[in-house]
Amino acid sequence: MRVSPLKNRFVRNNASFSERYGIEVVTRVRDARTEYDAVRETVGITDFSFMQKFRFPEEAGLDHLDGLMAGNVAKIRFGRVLHTFLPDDEGMLLADCYIANSDDEFIVLCESIADDADVRRRFLAGGGRDGEDWTESHAVIGVDGYKAWEVVRQLFGADILGLPYLSIERYLFNDIPVRVLRCGKTSEFGYLIVAPQELAGALFDTVMTIAQSLNGSLCGTAVHNDLRLEGRFFNIFAEGREVRDPLALGLQWMIDFEKERFIGRDALVARRSAGVRKKIIGIRAPDSVTFETGKTLFDGDTEVGAVKAACYSYQLNASLGLALFESDVAYAGLPFHYGSPSGQVVQSISMPPIMPKSLTVKLDEL
Amino acid sequence: MTETLRVLIERRAAIINRFKEDLIQRLNLPYEPQDLHEDVSLLGAGLGLDSLDALEIVLCVENCFGIKIPDQNTSILRSINTIVDYVIARQEKRG
Repeated sequence: MRVSPLKNRFVRNNASFSERYGIEVVTRVRDARTEYDAVRETVGITDFSFMQKFRFPEEAGLDHLDGLMAGNVAKIRFGRVLHTFLPDDEGMLLADCYIANSDDEFIVLCESIADDADVRRRFLAGGGRDGEDWTESHAVIGVDGYKAWEVVRQLFGADILGLPYLSIERYLFNDIPVRVLRCGKTSEFGYLIVAPQELAGALFDTVMTIAQSLNGSLCGTAVHNDLRLEGRFFNIFAEGREVRDPLALGLQWMIDFEKERFIGRDALVARRSAGVRKKIIGIRAPDSVTFETGKTLFDGDTEVGAVKAACYSYQLNASLGLALFESDVAYAGLPFHYGSPSGQVVQSISMPPIMPKSLTVKLDEL
Repeated sequence: MTETLRVLIERRAAIINRFKEDLIQRLNLPYEPQDLHEDVSLLGAGLGLDSLDALEIVLCVENCFGIKIPDQNTSILRSINTIVDYVIARQEKRG
């Protein structure tokens, strides 16, 4: 099992760990509410070193990555990040990926639901032989929250506030280059700092010192499941793993259908042409109901959907979920019975249901 | 499908379809209407539209439904569904 180079620092903080697809991840460090509040009110620091990470020289990487990914790698402008996915031959999800075009290189960060070794082999086989596998040589520190910008500003200077969402920049820490991607999935400000292993400990300690001065907290990965659902960011470890079909998940925006070649393209195009028969949408429970993954939803006596992801929203004081419905009833604003034809009435809702504090901040005016 | 659902769906689907078609045409998006999930984020993440595109979205709502979106109201513009909720609320207020 692959472990993080930052593991000891989380052990010292009494973190709990679990295994995910051959990789050890930090599940929880503090209680769920404390971690949630850290991100929504100040800043949460998370170890994202579980991601697969690669560096490709620009010229060799472009064709190779474009042939793997559903999105159009050739269209990524310098300094920008493409959010897309790695499909299998059937056009089903294998990994949720950020592809960053950073000067003379592509940096790839993946969250995958396939075996760690298999994902790494896919990226480095064939045309990927010129790539470098950074999966074990680099750490990824996640800085997420309403005050996340203050942490990176203190680390790298005020220029970083000009970094737009989905962009990458190189900075120096102790005279060694690190890559910073602005790309959170919590709906608050978010940054991923990619650093070589030998630098990771010192960088992490500095990040934590700043975060603690802002009343921030260490976080596990579990709270990100809740934050992503509440902000309606795609989560490959929740609804992604349950559904796997990017079209039913509404991820068409990650796909360039005009691209002539990528793995799984034919299958995706065929399913698109046939029409999407199922579709995922948000649901909200009344006070007395807590959604559970796998439970069914009914319109009259007819089963029309099933819960694929669930969380408790502290902001709304309600259980939220994502459910896969038959397309003809997959609309917001509808009542369904939960669990049985006579079960409690729950509502399909428009997502995202919350208004994050970060949307009230204009970084360019600070 | 129960009658309750059918009525609610017909109304919502009509607004969604009108809005998507106009949005795709205005912004020259490389998608068919059925490719745009109603919860996909319009600005930043998801479709990745910018502030100029946001202006087009506001015009799109005005053109399709005769409804103005207040300045600076970013919460309405977050997804197609949040826009449709606003349109339905305004239509109900009008009576």
